[in-house]
Amino acid sequence: MVTKVMQIIFSPVLALVVGVFFLGLARKIIARIHWRWGPPLVQPVIDIVRLFYQKSVSHGLVFDLGIILSLAGSIVVVLFLPFGRWCPLDGSGGLLVILYIMLLAPLGMALSGGEGANPNISIGISRKLILSLGYEVPLLLVLLAVMTRYKTISIMEVVNVQQGTSWSIISFPLVLSGVSYFLILPAILGLRPFDVSSAPQEISSGLMAEYGGKYLALATIEHAFVLFISIALFVNMFLGGAANPIIFFVKMLVVFVPGLFIHAVFPRFRVEQAVKYLWKWPTLLAFLGLIMTMVIGG
Amino acid sequence: MNKPIKEKLESTFRDIQVAVPEDNRIAVTAEKPNVLAILRFLKDTGFDHLALLSAVDWIEDNCFELCFILTCYMQNDDEYLDSQRLHIILKTKIPRVKPQFVTITGIFPNAEPYEREIHELFGISFEGHPRLTPLFLEREYEIPPFRKDFDTRKYVEDIFDKIPFVMDKAK
Amino acid sequence: MDRNQITKWLKAPAKMANKYSLHAIYFCTGCGIIEVPPVITARWDAERFGIIPAATPRQANLFLITGYVSVKTLRAIIRTYEQMPEPKYTVGFGSCPINGGMYWDSYNTIKHLDKYIPIDGWIAGCMPRPEAIFIAVTHLWTLIEKDMANGYIRYKDNYESYRSNQEMALGKLEWPPLYPASDEHRGGE
Repeated sequence: MVTKVMQIIFSPVLALVVGVFFLGLARKIIARIHWRWGPPLVQPVIDIVRLFYQKSVSHGLVFDLGIILSLAGSIVVVLFLPFGRWCPLDGSGGLLVILYIMLLAPLGMALSGGEGANPNISIGISRKLILSLGYEVPLLLVLLAVMTRYKTISIMEVVNVQQGTSWSIISFPLVLSGVSYFLILPAILGLRPFDVSSAPQEISSGLMAEYGGKYLALATIEHAFVLFISIALFVNMFLGGAANPIIFFVKMLVVFVPGLFIHAVFPRFRVEQAVKYLWKWPTLLAFLGLIMTMVIGG
Repeated sequence: MNKPIKEKLESTFRDIQVAVPEDNRIAVTAEKPNVLAILRFLKDTGFDHLALLSAVDWIEDNCFELCFILTCYMQNDDEYLDSQRLHIILKTKIPRVKPQFVTITGIFPNAEPYEREIHELFGISFEGHPRLTPLFLEREYEIPPFRKDFDTRKYVEDIFDKIPFVMDKAK
Repeated sequence: MDRNQITKWLKAPAKMANKYSLHAIYFCTGCGIIEVPPVITARWDAERFGIIPAATPRQANLFLITGYVSVKTLRAIIRTYEQMPEPKYTVGFGSCPINGGMYWDSYNTIKHLDKYIPIDGWIAGCMPRPEAIFIAVTHLWTLIEKDMANGYIRYKDNYESYRSNQEMALGKLEWPPLYPASDEHRGGE
């Protein structure tokens, strides 16, 4: 019981550390690709601390609550994901719950954005929700394929089976789903070419246009959590989870760094081009994966 | 290319002087009543691009001179030859006291901001202009700033230097 | 350890964070903005100092005023400056904000920008080289460390003088006073 409580408290902290490290690593690697030196690896920490020390301007109660709702949603999703061998809320619904609560993040920010009196925020919200519509369709098909293959909705079960046999991504019907999830991962993370919803040059960073001070700090923390959640979900479902956290972390790095390479050199898609891409090949592959899984494994 | 235009102009209008100062330039000097007709004629001949409209302040002769610079858009880029590029500058003098002119937005609609600029900087008013409001300047000036009798150093000393530095109350 | 030491120790993270994370609002004032893209791209990299351009004034804490300030630009600068959250630092780039520079006798530019918004430091040059910009950034760090970069505190304390100067230059201002004279505790959270 006590270990459970300790896990519940410790798990989001660990996710935050990993997420913030990924933010710093992203800036460093992109700088090195651009032939510059780049900031120190702890730069996001310095940014967040500075943002907490700034006095911010609030636009009302709903403006405050929206970002807190979004952050709360992300923290709850972290509790359902296994990190290595431990998973705080294991037998309570697993993949289905994650599918629902993962949507709280953009919706929470949309709620607070409606209160800020800036038209750039509405444009940012509409782009982000359209992009969510784009990637939720293949994501749902991929998760259904995994659930059908392993006949369970608990992620810990999926990890254990993969540890026993082989990784999902090299077993036949799920390789299609795995490739499809890897193709839509930049859209979930907000990396280029899919960072249309927070474009600094076009819509003055969209959703975060009126966030100053502590709101921006919370938004950066929430971005770190979203990084952790999406990559950890992929590693757990397709790359076999891991026996201990260190190997898990190495696998997350292996998934994240190619996304950064693409982010550093690509320009941005428009939102309709992004949705057209997301509904063409990834959806097709995910759909084929689901059909094959139902035919073969079902 | 210059000769046909020069002859056409001289044959169509009276009270007009056409000079060819260099190879691709034609300078036309005309009186105020003829200007609109000459502009319409040049536009029909193919010079449909008003490149610039500006004014010169001849304070010794007590007049302003309005200068219209017309060129033609290259129709086919393959046949673009340097020697065929021709600029026509049309000059007309108006009196310096209560200067007034007629707007040419009916012929060249893109003259609207140029006429606003000349109105606020020289004080020349254009009859019939749809919107003669200030374009660049924010303050009010008694003498319009581009005239030669506007003393800008005195203006700076009177207005901008008189604004005091802020003394910190804490010190 | 006496009380001074303890407060200094507690304030140290704030100062360090303010120093090493200066996000500059990307407001391109005059001709001097041509010197900023070389500074933030690959050859002279400003990101290793922690400086990146911020998208909106709400997310920024450094304001670079690069180049001459005409009367119309001053209106936009004041509105942008008042939107930034505190603590904020302003740096005047080039010789035009210092004393008018090349346009010292012009009828439409502001000669001494210090009369209208508070400035923490100046960089001389027309335009300063990127190396001069980095020296200025390290100077700003020293000022922040010693608590001498308090332009925003001066603005709050002497707001009536600044606002009367702004009204003398711009005419009637269409935004209400940021710190109304009636109540003392306003602004921010």
